[in-house]
Amino acid sequence: MNDIIVKNITRIIIPFAQVYGIFIILNGHVSPGGGFAGGAIIGTTLILYTLVFGREKGKKKFSHKASEIAESGGIIWFVTIGLVGLVVADRFLTNINAGFPEGIIGEILSGGMIPLLMIGIGVKVASTMISLFNLLIDEGV
Amino acid sequence: MNIEQLPIINLLLFLLMALVIPLLKRKPFKITLILGFVVLGLVLISSGYLLWYVNNVEVIHYTFGGHEARFGIEFIVDPFSALFTTIIAGLAAIIYIYSSGDATEGIEKTEYGRYYVLLFILLMSMFGILYTNDLFNTYVFIEILSITTCAIISIKKKKDTYTSAFRYVMMNELGSLSYLFGVALIYMATGFTNITLISESIQNAYASYPVNIIVALGFMIIGLGIKAAIFPFHIWLPDAHSAAPSTSSAILSAIVIKVYILVLVKVLFRVFKLDILNEMNISTILLVLAGVAMIMGSVFAIAQKDVKRMLGYSSVAQMGYILLGIGLLSFEGLRAAFFHILSHGLMKTALFLSVGEIIYYKKTRKVNDFDGMGFIMPVAMGVFSIAALGMIGIPLTSGFISKLNLGVAVLDQNQIIFLVILIVSSLLNVIYYLPIIILAFLKNEKYRYRLKSIEPTPRTMIAPLVLLGVLIVVVGLFPNQIMIFIEAAANSLLP
Repeated sequence: MNDIIVKNITRIIIPFAQVYGIFIILNGHVSPGGGFAGGAIIGTTLILYTLVFGREKGKKKFSHKASEIAESGGIIWFVTIGLVGLVVADRFLTNINAGFPEGIIGEILSGGMIPLLMIGIGVKVASTMISLFNLLIDEGV
Repeated sequence: MNIEQLPIINLLLFLLMALVIPLLKRKPFKITLILGFVVLGLVLISSGYLLWYVNNVEVIHYTFGGHEARFGIEFIVDPFSALFTTIIAGLAAIIYIYSSGDATEGIEKTEYGRYYVLLFILLMSMFGILYTNDLFNTYVFIEILSITTCAIISIKKKKDTYTSAFRYVMMNELGSLSYLFGVALIYMATGFTNITLISESIQNAYASYPVNIIVALGFMIIGLGIKAAIFPFHIWLPDAHSAAPSTSSAILSAIVIKVYILVLVKVLFRVFKLDILNEMNISTILLVLAGVAMIMGSVFAIAQKDVKRMLGYSSVAQMGYILLGIGLLSFEGLRAAFFHILSHGLMKTALFLSVGEIIYYKKTRKVNDFDGMGFIMPVAMGVFSIAALGMIGIPLTSGFISKLNLGVAVLDQNQIIFLVILIVSSLLNVIYYLPIIILAFLKNEKYRYRLKSIEPTPRTMIAPLVLLGVLIVVVGLFPNQIMIFIEAAANSLLP
């Protein structure tokens, strides 16, 4: 796509959309949204970049290796946080009883481990979306 | 950390293994194989220990995050789930050893890692289905299982595998959604998805909302019947199982469809309980389905020219045997069904793996090309013969014990007609298994007495086959050792 208007508008929009995605991920425990919705928004911005600037430039921004590491790392992060509960409080995914700070209800820093889990889910969903899209382009299915 | 953590650690080991494989992509593939084997060994040991523990000490209840069962998700490890997770882990370990001997025919080298990722996620979801005590959680694991199964079927990247994978997805989505609809109806009538809590209030719910419960039971039997390939809903199975690589056909046929029928057992005996089932006369419906499956599966198998499709149709007939045992709704019936799940698992694994070896070296899948095969590949064909004789029900094999138990269970309920069907089905098995054995060892004399015509095969492929052959005979000779655990499992389902 060689349209200068599309390219410039995309350049301007992408940072805002990504910040919005991060906002939704971090606010998952106090407002509608969460890891999946926010991760999907971030994933869409990466897809938009690849659509407008082409596969080669998209590869430079977010390589296949990086997406593999992000995909596995997202769940490994989730499992690690669950294991903290298993080791400290004898149950997998224990929240407050395992020593995660409860915070003030309604604030961003509250809900114990839930924001941490949301970050893991967000990373996983964003990287899965872009790598699924890249697979479809590369294989031409 | 204590013994209660073992079930979740089993699941996490599988999940972490699946996640680590893509990260090890740039290292030699041997590291992945060894690591996977270590994980399977650890899980086998821990599920074996859990089996001993729940039978001798106490049943384990595990709630996630410390939330009580009505709010959170609960795992129960009892004689039933511990027994079948051990069987699954054992069979999976045997198949894993075989598949490491580069017998993953038809898969490109670059796809090996992906195949093992799918295998470990498949195992994780099956363990989850068996451990969980929550109907909706079961649905989630069932979805994971169907998606990974579909990916494993289509891993060869050929046109016919895509067709069969697509058919599999369509049929199994219908099954999943029927099951989900049943869960929703039960939730509507009782207000719970936890199996223990549902079973406490299902009698009251049946008195006030009988239609809900009847429709829910119907949807769940149909949905799980599609997934377990019970006869009228079996059409996806032969295509899917013959299209997949041999090792995954073994997993799909020997383990995966059994897991769905175990979910059906859980739903019937834990959720609805015998009173409601007897009132609705579910027994007759299940028995009719089982009887038709036993005859028609074998009849279709006779007509097949492709050996893997033949084994697929044979699985349909064998699922009929298992459903017959369950449909009797008695202790003897359940015992026979559970024993047949084990013995069919062993025999079908042996059949698919030995056929897989023959396909790998001889590049033929036609039944007619098996003439004289006994002189070229003696080990593979020998194990094939043992397993096929077990399928027919010859004494000294585990198949005989399960047919004997089924016969006793049928007579116990005075259902003579099903004994006749059982015998007719066994005779039909003779028609399609025995000619292969006879032709393989007696025809094509030119191969005879020429030892150099024996194919050299790697030890990693021979060892699991021999182990399976020995196990089939050992379980047939000493069934009482394993019968203790099976009876405990059947007892834990009946009041």
